[in-house]
Amino acid sequence: MAAGPAPLGGHPRAQRPHLSKMERVVVSMQDPDQGVKMRSQRLLVTVIPHAVTGNDVVEWLIQKYCIAEDEALHLGTLLVQHGYLYPLRDPRRLLLRPDETPYRFQTPYFWMSTLWPAAELDYAIYLAKKNIRKQGALVDHEKVGYHHPSPATPAESSQRNPSPTSGAHSPGSRLIQMHKHTHPIEGVSEGRWGVHPPELGVGKSFPLETLNHPQAHYDQLHRKINHTWDLVVMQAREQLRAAKQRRKGDRLVIACQEQTYWLVNRPPPGVPSVLEQGPERGSCTARQVQMTVDFYKREIECCRKALGRTRVKSSVCLEAYLKFSSQRGPHDPLLSGCLPSNPWVTDNDTYWAMNAPSVAVPTKLRVEQWAFSFRELLEDPVGRAHFMDFLQTEFSAENLSFWEACEELRHGGQAQVPALVDAVYQQFLAPGAARWVNIDSRTMERTLEGLGRPHRHVLDDAQLHIYMLMKKDSYPRFLKSDLYKDLLAEAVVPLEMKRRVFPFMWKPRHSSPSLALLPTSTSGEPEAAAEGSSQQADPHKAGGPWTELAEAWHSSLAPSPTFGTDTQSKRHSLVVTSRGHGGAGGCATPTRPHQPSSSVVSQRPQLCHPVGQKWFQPCHPSTNQFWFK
Amino acid sequence: MAKEECKALLDALNKATACYHHLVLTIGGSADSQNLREELQKTRQKAQELAVAIRARLTPPLRDRGLGAEERAEFERLWVAFSGCLELLEADMRRALALGTEFPLHAPRRPLVRTGVEGGASGVAARALSARSLRHEAERDFDVEDLHQLEREILKVGEMIQDMEMKVNVPRWTVQARQTAGAELLSSASAGVSSVGGVSVQQRTGPCDLSKALAATIFSAVLLAAVALAVCVAKLS
Repeated sequence: MAAGPAPLGGHPRAQRPHLSKMERVVVSMQDPDQGVKMRSQRLLVTVIPHAVTGNDVVEWLIQKYCIAEDEALHLGTLLVQHGYLYPLRDPRRLLLRPDETPYRFQTPYFWMSTLWPAAELDYAIYLAKKNIRKQGALVDHEKVGYHHPSPATPAESSQRNPSPTSGAHSPGSRLIQMHKHTHPIEGVSEGRWGVHPPELGVGKSFPLETLNHPQAHYDQLHRKINHTWDLVVMQAREQLRAAKQRRKGDRLVIACQEQTYWLVNRPPPGVPSVLEQGPERGSCTARQVQMTVDFYKREIECCRKALGRTRVKSSVCLEAYLKFSSQRGPHDPLLSGCLPSNPWVTDNDTYWAMNAPSVAVPTKLRVEQWAFSFRELLEDPVGRAHFMDFLQTEFSAENLSFWEACEELRHGGQAQVPALVDAVYQQFLAPGAARWVNIDSRTMERTLEGLGRPHRHVLDDAQLHIYMLMKKDSYPRFLKSDLYKDLLAEAVVPLEMKRRVFPFMWKPRHSSPSLALLPTSTSGEPEAAAEGSSQQADPHKAGGPWTELAEAWHSSLAPSPTFGTDTQSKRHSLVVTSRGHGGAGGCATPTRPHQPSSSVVSQRPQLCHPVGQKWFQPCHPSTNQFWFK
Repeated sequence: MAKEECKALLDALNKATACYHHLVLTIGGSADSQNLREELQKTRQKAQELAVAIRARLTPPLRDRGLGAEERAEFERLWVAFSGCLELLEADMRRALALGTEFPLHAPRRPLVRTGVEGGASGVAARALSARSLRHEAERDFDVEDLHQLEREILKVGEMIQDMEMKVNVPRWTVQARQTAGAELLSSASAGVSSVGGVSVQQRTGPCDLSKALAATIFSAVLLAAVALAVCVAKLS
């Protein structure tokens, strides 16, 4: 191949391990005593040995490696896909069939190798050879076609080279004609070349897309390596001439081998390339390790470290995992749904507004999450603030302040480290400091030593000590305190936004003229709602504007009970008209703007579409569900 | 003319490289044998000789600053083809070394891959050497020594390529190839119609026609004899 194994000065590429393994398998198949059983392939006149059937291969694999049949089949298919075996009858379909289909082994030169990647120049030469064979040698091909009809080739060439000779040949006529060795168009020399029918065996029709791709490649290559095209042409001609010196059977086999090689290395469009590696595979290069003293020393060190690692029993682990899942299940927005509604679905981002990092009234789920672990509490800014309030009532707020200062040190800028360490020391650690924290003597000694050379992790020990102190001491008290209980009580539970019977009743993404009646109330209401005035916030307290809008809706909708002609519902007209009775049901309740019916009313703090909520409270709660699953 | 000579040599090198490639294809397969290794050696040695000769011929014109643009372009084209050919040869030689090491001929534990190719490739090698036939005269452990020699030759060729790059500065991408896409389909009248090529064509068509001509003459002779006998019988009776 044109590309050398190693670029000068670069590190040598290694053969991929799975390819080496496959090579070993193939070589072990060649054993004359224990290898795969070989048969002969009989073409009309020539007999070509060394054919194996798919069945034999599978059986041999099962027997040699003691594996199950599907695994053997899979392994065999891998071998075929990587080009170590090629089917004789249907060369383009690279898979192993566990029946009597014949296969043959690929020559080692054409084995797939990362050391010798397939080069463009070689591909160009191959395509040029194919071009010559198909166009100039159809006459010979006819003659050979008497033995091996392969209809793809004339079709392929007629696709690419609209010459009169190629168009005239059809599969049927080939079987009958026996031509002499002359070519009508070109000179004597060209016509003699190339008796390589690429396919051996019974004819099949090939899908159209595979016929065009070599031509596209050919043109592409011509553009890419234009400067060496002389060489390409010369080499193509010479290689064909050289091949002619062989027996016919050998010629056929070599042609098949080359074809398989290029099918594997330049797969036709639509066929996945086996050369592609996923990102995770790139780094596994199994180098031959030398069993030296160093190697063993490293191994010992590795094992020693592994022994020292703390291990958790899997039973404990799994229990913790289960507990985590069950605890977190109701909090997960994807598993348990998010209230009021999933913003991605309904275009209503109240959910995000209510769960913002700093919000005045947190949701109930959030407050509950603080009880899961101390880390949760500290990570939530609202929770941390409340915890700080609690500590202030207990007169131990300096612990949390100290912890926060240490966090700032750890994550802050490098330039501020000395100043910050100094400030922290002055404020928290110095004897007689204003907010002295209670650290045990050993940690204090270590910290004070380290303060001489401040770096960002110098206060880590002290921080950890205080953290554990808070966690073990203050945190349980916090959870039992009245402060927390009040927070729980005050927390807001957003109500689910009711799915409307008619989708156009959701908040329209573009403003519609009828909503212009309510500029102030719609902007005012969501804010009030986000603050979470109270979960009993009664949206129905809206008196005036509601009635006005209600009347406006009523008037616009009254003439068409099916809403099919409603301007807003045009988008959904298909949907609406098919559910006529739902619409009728909705229409039938226009006269209850203020009455919240008990089960179906949606008391929502936010107003996506205030009128819609009121008006079309369906009479039958069940009709809601048949629209949206 | 120097150019014609260069072209002829280049064609010969091209032929040798193609034949070498064809032979290397079968290493490690069922056709691998002592003879094959010997043929490989002969072919590559011939190719190397040709390469040295071409290099000697091509380097002076290209280093000559006073050459006309047209001539220079022509020489550059030849140079690009030559260096490409040489690179192909070197790659094939490396591959041959790797495969030869992997598939030693006389190791019992490592059988050759049964690829279905049988029969000798002496015709191919003979073609490369422009000889009628090839004699095989190697000793038993030929392949092992051959590999050592191959290594040395690869190094030599590598050095030659590097040397070429250093001495002659021909940017590849500026060379415009004379052949267009699909040029191989045209008759070989324009390209490569050197004496060597012509001889080989004659050589190749020779044997084919010979057998056919022989068959035709025998058949016609038999036919004539039968006709003559029939006439005689008719006359006599």
